[in-house]
Amino acid sequence: MAQSNPPFMSGVPELLLLRLLNEKEMYGYELVRSIKQATQEAISLGEGVIYPVLHSLERNGSLKSKRKTVSGRTRVYYALTKKGRDRLEKLRNDWSRIQGGVATALGATTNA
Amino acid sequence: MREPDFNVLATRLLKNGISPRHAHRTVNELRDHYDDLVDAAVDEGANSKTARLRAAKELGTMDEFVAQMSSRRELKMWARRYPRLAVIVYPIACLAILPAMPVFLGFAHRTALMRWSASLLAAGLVTAVLLLIMQLSIILG
Repeated sequence: MAQSNPPFMSGVPELLLLRLLNEKEMYGYELVRSIKQATQEAISLGEGVIYPVLHSLERNGSLKSKRKTVSGRTRVYYALTKKGRDRLEKLRNDWSRIQGGVATALGATTNA
Repeated sequence: MREPDFNVLATRLLKNGISPRHAHRTVNELRDHYDDLVDAAVDEGANSKTARLRAAKELGTMDEFVAQMSSRRELKMWARRYPRLAVIVYPIACLAILPAMPVFLGFAHRTALMRWSASLLAAGLVTAVLLLIMQLSIILG
């Protein structure tokens, strides 16, 4: 897939997907568009990258899926489960902690 | 960037040990995604060929996709996730199933088996009657 993000972005697609699916159920293409829009294209995921993540999240019970036929095309819609909401909360806390730590470190380096 | 061959992609995923359920579903989703990208490019004014090429580029390479899928252990077949256990379980399962195979096959072909049994019974009866007649002819004759 498109190599648009550095290695430290590992885990970010999962967080973004859970965050967006917390609002409403969506299918793959719609999710990629929403990520681009929500992050103002600062994070541009390789389009195919999300499917392995979605399948893994479904496999561990964070998501559930259902098929819908829309305009003659079968879409797989993903929605968050209770376990997914818990995982989102945990990832959000982890991300805030890391973000705070990095910001503090960068601030300290800049001031030094 | 070439247009993606989704059939080849499915085969590659299966060869890499991805479970058939995930492999086929992901390929179908990716195919739909590609179609959506083509439609979006056409809506923006690109011709069919340019739209397909642009969509393929946005979707990414198949090599990367196979690598992404293969790096996730939870999406692999049971035997690929627990290879040591599979080495033990599969032979035992085969040994357990082997004696039961004639029963299963017999049930699957029960009509033919019934016909065959009826023919055998009829042949046995004819033979028995002939032997009885011969025996009686010896005793009475």
